[in-house]
Amino acid sequence: MSAARFDELIHAPTRLAIVSLLAASEWADFKFIRDTIGMSDSALSKQLATLEQSGYLEIRRGFVGKRPRTSARLTSAGRRAFEEHVAALQEMVQRSGASIVPR
Amino acid sequence: MHDELGPAEAAEALAEIRARQQQVIDVATVPAWYWWAVGALMVVLAVGVDNRTPLALGVTIPVFVIGLLAATGVAVRGQVRAARLRNGLLDGRGVAAILGFTALIVGCTLGIAFALRAAGVPYPATLACTAGGLAMGTGGPVLMRALNRIMLGNRAGLPR
Repeated sequence: MSAARFDELIHAPTRLAIVSLLAASEWADFKFIRDTIGMSDSALSKQLATLEQSGYLEIRRGFVGKRPRTSARLTSAGRRAFEEHVAALQEMVQRSGASIVPR
Repeated sequence: MHDELGPAEAAEALAEIRARQQQVIDVATVPAWYWWAVGALMVVLAVGVDNRTPLALGVTIPVFVIGLLAATGVAVRGQVRAARLRNGLLDGRGVAAILGFTALIVGCTLGIAFALRAAGVPYPATLACTAGGLAMGTGGPVLMRALNRIMLGNRAGLPR
């Protein structure tokens, strides 16, 4: 199990949603993230840039045929920070005696 | 912010994390129709095998190959276009479940076909593949539910 460390950067609601999606993925397409979370292109770009500047995320820009395609993936630092953040959240819940067993 | 965060907010954040990860797993889930399509294509191929005429084989083999490629392409489109699942989500148990399911379908279908052939029953491959196709159509979604459970258990945000 990862060490517990609350991460303010990840915990912001939109960034938490983005990082959670990416944590289950090797990579995710920009449009998939945008449509799944329900953000505008510009708002998502801003959040991805913030996570990229922190070293949590890597953005790849390429082409599939003639279409531009942007995808994102968590770096090893980002994945570690997310796991530590999850561990911190679990600790908070467990300390209160509540259950975190999923539905 | 951290100091102000209570257990209820932490639980909400964990629920959000689980829901988001479920969305990625859903993209990778093979739809139920795919298993029925593969089962039907097995039957088509078996009809050609039982007839053994160049015309039957010339029609059924391309239908099987093209149909399988097309169905697989549509079924995995989400993984190709949207997001690719993290490798660690599907562990050894998942791989064992996939291999076990495949071995069971192939083994039972071949076993039935050879038994029917030995008994002199006409169209043994077609009958065996019909049974195999039905098993594929009903068992495929069961396999996917099992794989979903494994992947959900391996995602972050859950106690191990």
